[in-house]
Formats: sequence, structure tokens, C-alpha cells
Amino acid sequence: MDERELELFFGPQHMGMVGNFSITLKVRGDRVVEARANPGYLHRGFAKMMEYRVWIQNFPLVCRINVMDPDPYELIYAMGVEELAGIEVPERAKYIRTIVMELSRLASHLAWIWAYGNALGFDTIGQWSMGDRDYIIDLLEFLTGGRIYHIYIWPGGVRRDLPDGFEEKTLKILDTLEGHLPEYDDVFFNNRLFVTRARGVAKITKEEAIELGATGQVLRATGVKMDIRKLEPYAAYPYLDFEIPVREDGDSYSRMMLIREEMDQSISIIRQCFKKMPKGPVYHRVPNPFKWKVPKGETYVRMESARGELGLYMVSTGEDKPYRVHFRPPSLPHGILILEKLLKGASIADVGHIMMSLYIAAPEVDR
Amino acid sequence: MSGKSTIKKNGSIFSPFKALKFLFKKPHTLRFPFEQKEASPRWRGFHLNDWDKCTGCGNCADICPNKAITMVKVPEIEAKPGRKNERPQIDYGRCCYCGLCVDICPTGSLRLARDYIHIDHGTKSFTLLAKDEKTDKEHFVSKENYSLFNASLAHRMSNNEGFVSDLEYSLFEPERVPMPQVPAEERKLSFIEQVIGYSREEAKKEASRCLECGLCEEACPAHLKISDYIRAIYEDKPVDALKKIYEDNPIPSICGRICMKPCEDVCSIGVRGEPLAIRWLKRYAADVVEDYVSALNIKPGKPTGKRVAVIGAGPAGLSVAYFLRLKGHDVTVFDSLPGGGGMMRIGPPPYRLPVESIDKDVNYIASLGVEFRFNTTIGKDVLFEDLLRDYDAVFLGIGTTVSRSTRVKNADKAMLALDFLKNNKIGKGVKIGREVIVIGGGNVAMDVARESIRLQHIQYPGEKTVTKTVSLEDWDEMPATKEEIEEAKEEGVVFNPAWGPKEIRIDEEGNIKGLQCVKVKSVFDEQGRFHPTFYEDKEMFLEGDMVIEAIGQAPDFSFIPDEMMKKLEFTPRRKVKVDENGQTSIPKVFAGGDIVNLNLNAITAIADAKVAAEGIDKLLSSK
Amino acid sequence: MKIMDREENLREEILSVFKNTEVSSPKRKRLTVITEKALISEVMKFLKDRGFKQLCAISCIDWIEEKEFELIYHLSSFESGIHAMVKTKIDRENPVMKSMIPVFTNAQTYEREIWEMFGVQFEGNPRLIPLFLDRWRDIPPFRKDFDIREYVKRTFDVIPSLEEKQNG
Repeated sequence: MDERELELFFGPQHMGMVGNFSITLKVRGDRVVEARANPGYLHRGFAKMMEYRVWIQNFPLVCRINVMDPDPYELIYAMGVEELAGIEVPERAKYIRTIVMELSRLASHLAWIWAYGNALGFDTIGQWSMGDRDYIIDLLEFLTGGRIYHIYIWPGGVRRDLPDGFEEKTLKILDTLEGHLPEYDDVFFNNRLFVTRARGVAKITKEEAIELGATGQVLRATGVKMDIRKLEPYAAYPYLDFEIPVREDGDSYSRMMLIREEMDQSISIIRQCFKKMPKGPVYHRVPNPFKWKVPKGETYVRMESARGELGLYMVSTGEDKPYRVHFRPPSLPHGILILEKLLKGASIADVGHIMMSLYIAAPEVDR
Repeated sequence: MSGKSTIKKNGSIFSPFKALKFLFKKPHTLRFPFEQKEASPRWRGFHLNDWDKCTGCGNCADICPNKAITMVKVPEIEAKPGRKNERPQIDYGRCCYCGLCVDICPTGSLRLARDYIHIDHGTKSFTLLAKDEKTDKEHFVSKENYSLFNASLAHRMSNNEGFVSDLEYSLFEPERVPMPQVPAEERKLSFIEQVIGYSREEAKKEASRCLECGLCEEACPAHLKISDYIRAIYEDKPVDALKKIYEDNPIPSICGRICMKPCEDVCSIGVRGEPLAIRWLKRYAADVVEDYVSALNIKPGKPTGKRVAVIGAGPAGLSVAYFLRLKGHDVTVFDSLPGGGGMMRIGPPPYRLPVESIDKDVNYIASLGVEFRFNTTIGKDVLFEDLLRDYDAVFLGIGTTVSRSTRVKNADKAMLALDFLKNNKIGKGVKIGREVIVIGGGNVAMDVARESIRLQHIQYPGEKTVTKTVSLEDWDEMPATKEEIEEAKEEGVVFNPAWGPKEIRIDEEGNIKGLQCVKVKSVFDEQGRFHPTFYEDKEMFLEGDMVIEAIGQAPDFSFIPDEMMKKLEFTPRRKVKVDENGQTSIPKVFAGGDIVNLNLNAITAIADAKVAAEGIDKLLSSK
Repeated sequence: MKIMDREENLREEILSVFKNTEVSSPKRKRLTVITEKALISEVMKFLKDRGFKQLCAISCIDWIEEKEFELIYHLSSFESGIHAMVKTKIDRENPVMKSMIPVFTNAQTYEREIWEMFGVQFEGNPRLIPLFLDRWRDIPPFRKDFDIREYVKRTFDVIPSLEEKQNG
């Protein structure tokens, strides 16, 4: 057996890479001895840019922090500003926000099924899930006028009320999607090849997960029932009935299955929203952007994005711009320390799907 | 978990073969270009801009988070106050299609379309001076002529609006903070000031609506720095606001009440909503600062030893005195009235402009060292020739002080508007009739009618009285402001629009019985000149025991000696002719206000005064 | 039982143990602890023992006028659902802080971030290497005296546009 150690660059130009991200692997044979994550291929400095823009100008910017799941960023920024400025959001807007959150979660999960399948060499599932994601994107386009960056949830509520026919269209697409999910199971989640490849791989214990800052599926796969939607309910989540899927094994398989199971919940949440949503205004007007000064103060707001706990620590000094904005994205702990830890000892063939199973969004890691 | 889950624990190697059933099914994908997908109705694509509606206010450029919008001068468009000849140009290398520009656009002219395809090698072609199909017939084609293969910024589909402005979600507040007012039922019983004035919170809230586009500053004859002083009020610094106002307008307490506010007419928010209450905000700043002398801390300029005489202590005279005093000249203001303000002192009724508010402004100007000589009539107490001899310059701000009469039969029995107003405000008061007829449809007529209502309530409490107006103009052409007409109606004034006075009927003892009127066919001729015509066969008799004529005023030049009057040149519309320095055809005599301009309002008088003050200063410092 | 009981109990407990420390609960499920630099580790250990098992993030604010950096350690308790912020201020001229890795392993990445963006030295962190900014020679970019617009002008305005290039 060859005992030579090699250094291997995995990404950023790699089929199995999440995007502008790279891992430097030290390998012996096909075993990874050590992994170093390098997120530096994507740096925009948005937290700094936001200090230069008046409050409302930041709202089209924040969604760009995570292209796959942009809406939680709009919501978290809106929640932060609303808390600092003491703005009460109309009830209907809360439901619309929840619908958008869950649509975004669905779109993100579907995209990720593609990415994960791809890393394992399953092409069919990816074609299907990306196709179904497009229906969700169509819905968001119908609602907001943009396909990827929706720029829709702003401080005070949402930007426009639901268009006519949105409910029917959404319910129809949810039915379609729900009809497709068993077929996903057939071709992927119940596929022995997937189960064998993923089960037992990249296991993390409950204690390690907590210590290393894991949230979202990574944490829930180890048996911790932690979801901000239940822990500190926001938007319309307090009024809705849903479950948090949890698994015990903490491996790649469990994490992926949680993504699959959460989709059932998201579909149910959206249906409930339409049933319970009251009529009324959807926007509480904020002062004109050139004069708007948010009162002095600080806040930490948090929510459950598709990937885990998304936090925002924001400080206002009573000026027309934020003084400091600090996001706490779920992918930062997942993408550096946890990834490095889980890759240690893995085989090179597993590197791709281990990374995918951690649900890392490279742009989120950026500051 | 839901019971219908199809997830199996260990999976099967046969499970994926179930996908074979899709082999001959129709795919979900669109087969472009045979199948195309339309953008959603709210699509945020390329910009559309209605050039007729766009005011060039530039709010879109200010809000753009990426600095993608530049305001570009368009020479074809005629610039006028409230309408700049600038239009937004969008750089699609920077635009992120967020649509903030649409939500801030006060007019709603800027919209986003549903097209988004532009492919070109040159980066310059990615900038666009946004237009729409109304003004750009070349680049916008009908649906039939549109081809996706040519789609670009130069080949766009017409009638393809996407994300458009909605006032409910606009980034500005279209509704004004309501001004607290004494209700009509209460105010018509006395001369209590109708407008109560904004509180600190209300003023700040109203000021927070301002977008600072500056259209108002162009429209204001005196070009006050409106955006700046509104910002100061918003920041709760009323003294700073007042200082800003004093840079261009030394009578804020007066103007804050009676200004004709051309600024509010062009306010960009006013296009679809209610304009900023600029006048009330000025009034707030003027009222909330109690002691001008210590707050403003303005000092007169270094003494020059030059002396200027100002005839008339109205808005023009007060302003010219103030500006010249700041330049260090000695100024003496002459007025025949017992106090300052000129027409402001006698014209606007106390419920609009109390005398105390006038004195606040006048006293401040006096505190700077301007000498006021009231109760002094030029031509009688002091001769005009003497002024010319003793002073280095003379400013005429005499205004129009003689009421015009209709000169119908028995017009001598009627009262003239100015006599009525003056007597009522600073004189002995007027014995009002029970049935009063006011002739005229302008703001002075409204003042007279509304004062008459109040006097009737005071002098005949509980009795049946009535005040009627008769005007040549119909509702839509009445020169009085809408506000005044509405408020007069609320207080019970009865209107008779489109009737002309023919004769005042009197009984044997010479008491007025009423007014014989004739129906008006048209007021203006085709060129828009005043030339009323009547239906001679349609007449009406209005009963009444008192008639007040409020059909306009004229200046009184009788104090100027004849040989000098001959030298004084007039414009074709009978206004005193002045040059760019405000100087008349008589050397070292300057003029401003109602005898010079056609606007006949205080703020234009101030603007004239600014010009004249500069002119006088230039003349004096050149000597 | 009152809603704020848990927060209130914690508050009293912390105050009884630590001197020079302020504790407040601005709203439900939030706890703010302001303490001095030397006590941070102890406070964090104390809170970790009381259910705050996870370090969510570490934020840094540049209070340039006060010549101070403020460090905010965000702790999360999954049992009580409380989010605690432990705050302290350090000198801006000589920004040194003890690393929190002995208490929370994942402090490593957050300290790296603050080291890179604000230039705070964390004693005991073995991995203070850039996350994003390889070969960065300017002052740490998230400091308030770093002007992003000036930097962009200086760096990118010298690059000619496509048209300029084509026209030589």
C-alpha cells in the first residue's frame, strides 16, 4: 500500500462542488487525512456595503446572500428592522411571509436533491427535482415579479398583496409536487444504491454537533429537536400545526431523508396558511426612505431558513443607515469546522456527497 | 409523520426501475422557441417611463441602491417650474431590477416592463433613456410585429407593463397630516384664527414626507430652500429651519399663513397624493420659535452710511428693508397705516392672519435697526421729491390700495372691499347688513364674504341673516382658491356664479333693495383676455340691504409729481416697468410687489424685493 | 408562572456570582450580559453549565469614536429557548482577546472572521489565517475607518472599460 501523502484541490472548478468554494484535501491512498475548507472564492463584503445604504436600500441586497434560499434573508432583515423601529406587521402579511418562506424552503430542498443526487451520480432525480423547482419558481415569479431574487418581503410587511388566482395556482402545484414525491422515493430515496452509499457515512454525534455550532438538518439528524419555528415562532408559525422531523443516526443518509421529510411539512404548512389567512392590509407603511431614521438600539433576530438557524445581529445608532449588520448563517459552522471534521477519514468518492449532505451554501459563508 | 409516506427503510435495487413508466410521457419542459413562456404580470424587467407624466424629480436616481439611474438633460423638453427637463437613464450593467425606483416614483410614470432580453457586444448599448410607447414609436412595436429573436432594448413590445406603482405600497406617504382647524360652525361665530397649527409631532410627521426633490424650490418665486428647512423641522431643529427661511424670506409668520404657495402646486407627491403642507410647516417654524432676536442671532452688516427710503411697509417693502439692512445700509420705511404689513395688515381677515403675527415679523425687522415711520403718507406728510433728494435710493412697494368699482347704476351706494376689510380689521368696525351681497369671485371677495358672515353672527346673534356672492366667473374659472371657496361654503356663504351685476336697486329713501343681475355668456375672449359677454334676456334680482364690491384693486400714484409721473414707464399690462436690477425708468427709484408683477401675491413681492435689494446695493456700492 | 421567570432567575443568578456585570432581558427569550473583558470566559462557562450549550456566533462592532471594539458572544439554549448575548468592550488601539476555543470549539471560525475583518488578535487561537482575503494588504476592511467606496475607486477605476480597450 502506497503511503505517500498527496494534496488534492477539490473545487472550486469541480463537478461535485457547491459553487464558489474549495476544499484542500490531504489524502493517503483514497482516504482523506485532513481537509481544509476555503470559502474565499466568493467575497462581496455585503455586511460592509449595508453600512453605506439607507435602510430600505438594503432590502434588495440581502436576498443575494444566498441564491438558493433568498427569502429568509429578506425576512430576517425585515424582522430586524421592524424590531428596532417598533413596526407591527399586519396579520395577513405574516401569512404571506410564511407561504413565501415555505415555498423558498421547497425550492431550496428540491435544488439540493439535485445537487446531492449529482454528487452520488444519480442524474434522473436531479432532472425531476429541478423541473419541479421551476414550478415553485414560477409561483414566486407570479407573486413577486422575480424568479430568483424576489425582493418581496420588506420592513413593514410585504410589497404587494397576493395576485388573483395565486391560491388556486399554488394549491395545484403543491398537488402536482405531492404527486411526484413518491416517484422521487422510487427513483432515489428508496433506491438501495443511495441507501448503501449514504448510510453510516459522515456520522456526527449529538454532542459534537452542538459543540460545533450545527443547526438545521445537521443537528436534527442527531436527534435534537431544534427548529426556530418552534423554539421562537415568528411570522404565522405560532398559528400553524406542523411537525419537526428528527432522526437519530447523524449520518449523511439521515440528513438527506430529513430534507425529504421536511418537504411534506412545508406543503402542509402552505395549505394551512391559505385556509387560515385573514383578509386585510399587507403593508404597514414605513417613513420615506430619505428621511427614515431607525431608533438607536440593537437586536438579534433569528429564524429557521432551509439550512438551519439564520440569525441577524443589527445595531442602529439612530441614523438613516445601519451601523453594523452581522449575519449568522447556518452554512458558516457547517461549511468550515463540521465539514473538515466529517471529511477526515472519508474516502475521496464520498467527499462530494458529504459536503452536499451538510447542505452548505457557499455564498452564505461569505461575510 | 404523515401516514401516507412512501419512504422505505432499506430501499430496494428495483425501486428505480419504476421510472421507466415515464419513458413515453410528454416532458414538462418547454420546447423553446416553439413554446414560449410569458413573463408574469408583475415581472420586473426593463424600465418604461411616461415622459408626459415624469416631472424629472430624480427620486428614482436617489433611491437606486446601485446608482444605476442618472438624470439626463433632454433639450427637447421645455423646463418650467415643477417640471425639469431631466429624465432617468438606466444603466443595465448596474440595475438589479429591485423596482425601488417604481415604488418611489411620485407620478407613477416610471414602471417596469415584462421584457428582459438584450444581447449586445458593446457595453454602451446597455444604457437606456427610459421611454414608453407613447413617446417612442420606433423601438416599441406591436405584439404582431414583435419577435423574440430581435428582442433587445431597441426592439420591445408595446403595452407590456409589468411591475407598476401602487399608492398603497409607495415608499412615500401620499396623505397629508391633517391640519387641525376650528370647525365651520364654531369659527363663523367669531374672528378666531381658523387654522390651529401643527403640534411638534404633527410637524415632524408632515416634514418626514418630504422627498427633497426640490421641484418646489424652483417654483417658489423667491426660491426658498424648502427641502433644507423641512429637513430641519423633521430633525426637530425649528431654529435652524427659521434661519434657512430667513435667508430668502424675512416675513415667515405672514407667509406661513397667507402665502399662495406655488410650491405646493408642483410638489411631486401632490401629483397623485396630497402635496407637502409646505406653508403650514413654515408657519410651524415661525410660531414655535418665540424670540426671534435671540434665536436667529442675525446681525446687520457693517454700516455703509448710505440711506434708503422704502415707501410701503408691505411684503415688498419689509423684505427690501431687511435685505438692505443686512448689507449695512440705513433704511427708513414709510407707511400711511399705523403699523407694518401693508395690505397684509388690512386685507387678510384676522381669522387667517392675526395682527400679532404681522407684528412679530415687523418687530423683528425693526430690531435689526430698520426705522419705521408709520402714519406717514407720502405726498402729504412727506413729499416724494424730498425723499429723492435726501436719500441715496427710493424703493416703491406701494401695492394696489384703491378698490375698483363696478360703476353700475347706484354703485356709489355700495361699499368697497378694502374699506370694508380695513375698517373691520384695524378700524372702528362695520355695521353689517342682514342680507349682504358681495360682488366678486376672487380671494378678496371670499375674505369679504366670510367676514360678513362672522359680523352677521356677532351683530345679529340668532337671527336669520345671509351673505351671497355674485361673480362673473362660473365655478371652474373662479379665481379664488378651491380651499377658500370650500371653506366659505362650509360657513354658509351662498354663491351665484356666472352672474354679472347690472344695477343696484334702491328705494325712495336711498336704501339698498338688492342687485339686478344678468346671466354671463362668457368671461374671457378667444385670446384669453378679460372680456365678459352676457345673455341680455336672462336677468335675476338678488335681494339685499348691503352691497360690497370686491372686484380688484389699482395702485395709487398720486404722490408722484406729474412731470416725474410722465417719466415713469409702464408695461403694456399697466405694470411699472423695471430692469433686471429692479430699477424703474426714473434713476435711483426701484420698485417691486403688486405694482410690478402680475402674480399679486406676497411671495412674488419678496422675490421682487430680493432683486431690488441687490440692485440698490449694487448702485450704492458703486457710488 | 410568569413568562419572564426563567430570564429573571438567570439574571439574579449571574448577578450573584459576577461583579461588574450588568444583566438585562430586553424581551422574552433574550438575555443580555455586559461584563468586563477578564470575566468573559467565566461567564461563558457559567452559562454553558446552565443549558447554553451552543455558541451561535461572535459579533464585533467598531465603536471608532469611543476607540473600542465591542465583542458580542451569542449563546443559544435549546432547552429554554433563550438566546443570550454576552458583551464586552476591548481597546481598539491594541485589540487583544483571549480565545474562547477552550469553552466552545467552534469559536475558532468566528474568531478567525473577526481577526480578518477587524484585526482583533485572539490569544490561543491556532488558526488565525484568512477566510476570504488572501494577500490583503490594507487595514482590516470592516473597521469603520476603511472606506469601501474610496477603495473601489482606487482599485477598479484604473481598469479600462471594454470600449477603451478596443479603441486602444
